[in-house]
Amino acid sequence: MEADVGKGYARFFNGVSIFILAMCTLVMADNLILLYLGWEGVGLASYLLVGYYYKKPSAVAAGKKAFIVNRVGDLGLAVGIWLIWVNYGTIEFNTLFQVWQDMDHGVGGFDKSLIPYCLMLGAFGKSAQLPLYVWLPDAMEGPTPVSALIHAATMVTAGVYLIARTYPLFTLHPDALATVAWVGGLTAIFSATIGMAQYDFKRVFAYSTISQLGYMFMGLGVGTTFGAAYHTLTHAFFKALLFLTAGAIMHGFAGQLDLRKLSGLRKVPGFKIVSWTMLIGCLWLSAFPYSAGMLSKDVILVQALGGKDHGFVWLGWIGLITAAMTAYYAFRVWFRVCAGPVFYMPGEETHDDHDAHHDDHGAHATAPTSTTSHEFHPHAPRWAMNGVLIVIMLGAFATGIPGYMEMRGESNWAQVMMAHSSAFAGSVQAHVTDAVNFGMNPHQLVELFGTIASLGGIAIAMYFHLLQRKSADKLRAWLLAHNSIRWIPVAMENKWYVDEFYHACIRGPAWIAGQILHFTDKHVVDGLMVNGIGRIPAALGRLFQPLYNGVLQGYATTMAGGAALVVAWVVYRWLTSGVAA
Amino acid sequence: MSSFLPMGPKILVLTPEIIVFGGSVVTSIIGLSRSKTLRKSVPLLAAITLLASLAALAMGYSHEAAEQAGVLMPHFNKIIKAIILVVGIGLVAISVGHIDRRMEEAVARGATTFDPMRVVRGEFYSFMLLSICGAMLIPGSPDLIWLFLALELTSLPTYIMVAMSRGTRRAQEAAVKYFFLGAMSTAIFLYGFALIYGSTGSLQLSTIRDVFTDQSARGGIDTLGITGLILCILGFCYKLAAAPMHFYAPDVYEGAANPVTGFLSFIPKIAGFSALAVLLSTVGWSGHAGFSETGALISGLPAPILATLWMICALTMTLGNIGALLQKSVKRMLAYSSISHTGYMVLAIIAGPGLGFEALLFYLISYGVTNLAIFGALSGLQKRGEDVESFEELSGIGRRYPGLAAWLAIGSGSLMGMPPLLGFWAKLMLFMAGVQAGHTPLVIIAAINSAVSVWYYLRLIGVPSLSPPGTSSEGVTKGPSSWPRFAGAVAAVTVIVLPLFASRILGNSAEFAPTNAKPTSATTPTAPVSTPKQTTGNSPQETPRQIDTQIALHSSPTRL
Repeated sequence: MEADVGKGYARFFNGVSIFILAMCTLVMADNLILLYLGWEGVGLASYLLVGYYYKKPSAVAAGKKAFIVNRVGDLGLAVGIWLIWVNYGTIEFNTLFQVWQDMDHGVGGFDKSLIPYCLMLGAFGKSAQLPLYVWLPDAMEGPTPVSALIHAATMVTAGVYLIARTYPLFTLHPDALATVAWVGGLTAIFSATIGMAQYDFKRVFAYSTISQLGYMFMGLGVGTTFGAAYHTLTHAFFKALLFLTAGAIMHGFAGQLDLRKLSGLRKVPGFKIVSWTMLIGCLWLSAFPYSAGMLSKDVILVQALGGKDHGFVWLGWIGLITAAMTAYYAFRVWFRVCAGPVFYMPGEETHDDHDAHHDDHGAHATAPTSTTSHEFHPHAPRWAMNGVLIVIMLGAFATGIPGYMEMRGESNWAQVMMAHSSAFAGSVQAHVTDAVNFGMNPHQLVELFGTIASLGGIAIAMYFHLLQRKSADKLRAWLLAHNSIRWIPVAMENKWYVDEFYHACIRGPAWIAGQILHFTDKHVVDGLMVNGIGRIPAALGRLFQPLYNGVLQGYATTMAGGAALVVAWVVYRWLTSGVAA
Repeated sequence: MSSFLPMGPKILVLTPEIIVFGGSVVTSIIGLSRSKTLRKSVPLLAAITLLASLAALAMGYSHEAAEQAGVLMPHFNKIIKAIILVVGIGLVAISVGHIDRRMEEAVARGATTFDPMRVVRGEFYSFMLLSICGAMLIPGSPDLIWLFLALELTSLPTYIMVAMSRGTRRAQEAAVKYFFLGAMSTAIFLYGFALIYGSTGSLQLSTIRDVFTDQSARGGIDTLGITGLILCILGFCYKLAAAPMHFYAPDVYEGAANPVTGFLSFIPKIAGFSALAVLLSTVGWSGHAGFSETGALISGLPAPILATLWMICALTMTLGNIGALLQKSVKRMLAYSSISHTGYMVLAIIAGPGLGFEALLFYLISYGVTNLAIFGALSGLQKRGEDVESFEELSGIGRRYPGLAAWLAIGSGSLMGMPPLLGFWAKLMLFMAGVQAGHTPLVIIAAINSAVSVWYYLRLIGVPSLSPPGTSSEGVTKGPSSWPRFAGAVAAVTVIVLPLFASRILGNSAEFAPTNAKPTSATTPTAPVSTPKQTTGNSPQETPRQIDTQIALHSSPTRL
């Protein structure tokens, strides 16, 4: 944002343009190869933008991590495309689905049944699902608009798009869709637990993104491609809104992201719009009744609770529990940061090179030691930011329209759109059964429990983080004091040690293998083979050098001798072969 | 000899040479004038002479007259002459001010008194024009005596030029070496001429060709003729600086002054290649064309000659490149590089008329122009009145003279064959000609050599432009005249720009074809340079039908 003006500022816009180009390519491609091109393109743009602050080691590491973890997924997609080509002889979507329909229209053999799993791996990598989600929280090292655009709204949903686009192929194996659904559901609840315990609110939003993506996959898996796509749409707006408010706060408080160090911002001059738009985002995220977020989430949950196979009902309950957790952590942020007494500590970011026009506080901002709220003057967002927030907020409202239309029994344009796509054509479109739980059908169930989850989560958050802030620390201390349960907060705060686990089990062995290969390359391939071959010409040169000794007679002898040798050889050949020329 | 032709067409064909010769006489006289201004105008006069000659060639040359005059390959003849003249103008330009600057430096130091008679030496340019005149006479030789005299006319002035180019003993030594070894090589090819005369009973090249055709129709050219031809080739190798006659090149090139080295690495070489082409046209490429077992078109040269050329080609490029690797002197390095380029060009001679000759001509243009860029830059520098010749002296000069370093870099890039510079297209065309003629192994050897050569060419890019200035490069300054630098600049720009117009330079290769053949666009790879894709796709897998037409193109030495 504004703070980044300076050398290499253009790189940011370059990267964003590359991203938009690649994302459009991905979405508009009519064949898998072009889709793959866009897929890799958005990966590249993501890498470039996450590592935008290339002087910051953590940003560079995050960029690398994003890229490398995505490689695993991309390998899956590449193999999937290859398998599709081998099995169906085409990579064009239209032809592919035609051939698929003509050929088997259902379960295929082993190589065919691998296709959905390969595509799934690609989707999980790009959309940060278990087990490949680890890159997304770190990717928040990038500039906040990038987090908003790429790592919340658009790129990460490419995986959802991929599965929706190739939906018919997921019937090739009976468990493929169920796998998608369960991975999505587990990711949703797993990352929600982590999100509940993070103090960096940009990271909270990052984990909430993973969690919401989990809902989308759950929707795909349980058979409502409309739900998944609709949730993608609503999520894009409210999550972008949340990230941009986070960015505005970061901007205002010198990079401060710790929700313990900010409080009552809605009363700080200039942060009113940020606070209220953030509230809208949080309400939408926590599926507040009749918000767009609730409308889209409910489609998924209804479908899950109505499902009969693969334990989809349980998945529905997991989704509901996650919804409560989501409401809790969303409002944990809002109550901490925007409500309560006014209190703030600036972050460590010193923007001294661009602050010439903010003379009133520039002197303070340049001194990182002045961390008390009395000396630090926050940097209120101006209309460049506020305007964007309001526009996106309006968008977030607008995404609810299809849902409201459906509630009124009118035809829903989002659903109509889906009905004409390959995602719909291949989907089972199982109608919600009349399964009855607690004497209610799924619709009623979700309406009731969804509302309870949402409001309950908000109420708990309100108690711990607005009304009785001390009690949250007490609860934590109590949990930590009991050995039998102290692992819960510790594990949640440390993100279940997944990074450490990957570090030990994957990065470690890979690092050792890399060292061995590097040694081999340096000393055997380069040292012996490449340089050895390279030395041959020079050695030959030294061998022949004595011939050029500068002595006239020597030259004459060598030349005449050479000529004589040539003549002798030719005459010999000619005489012995006995064949005339 | 009944075959002496009427003088009319002969004089018409020889007008350019006559102009150059006249210019040489005039320059040598003016060079003796008492007026310094007049003496200073000598290089200009030489350049005007060459321009006039070029104009005469462009306007007065007709294939019919040339054929009547006994020229075996009229089109080839014309283009060779044009190349010599154009590059010759550049060579004159890079020599300006060079011969005199040691004297001027000595006067400035007070070591000697100013002597107006020694300041501008017109005879140098006179010799230069004479040598150019000789080289121009070669491709049109109708008989062996003419060929011999023309070759000597090319070489003899160069011995003197080497001797007078610098005052050092090394120049004298180089001149003496060059002269003695040149005499030996002359003896070798003169012996070859004698044997050919013994075998065919004629000195007239067209008669020799007929006799050789007869002989091969009756079972093969006799031993005498073949041995004579091989001796000729070996003798010409001296002019080309090709193995096994290349030993003199590093010493002589190093001993001579920079512009003379530039001259030596081009004019005798193009003379040698013209001589080789003229001589081989009496045996080669006619009635011998056929298919190898793999179906590729093979050159029609008699087997022993093919074997000799094959060996010369492989040896020359390899020895040249290997020798260049370890050199500390730029000029020695360029000498070896010149040897290796000869090796590549022999490949074109083996490939024969059509694509091969086109490649040869294009390579000669490329080599001549690139040489001008490099020697222009080197001649534009001096160190206390002496030539700049070691890499150390060039170290870091790019900081003071970025232009000169750029010319060196562009020239080097072109010599190593870096796309999109001229040298790349020349090499590409050459290799394609080689592959098409069925000499893939040679092309592979050439490609490996080309890769090895990057090592030392990169030094000529890196040392002036990237290395820090060293102690030995401190005293290096610009030369007294800006003409060499200007010529280098023009040549460097040409290296970049010429590929765009390359297809127009050689003219339509249909001109290589006999008039009755109707070449289709597929069989006339006129413009591999402007349309590289098409041609690269074209050459290796041609349909047999296309190759048939190629044979038709290849099999008429009368028109070539």
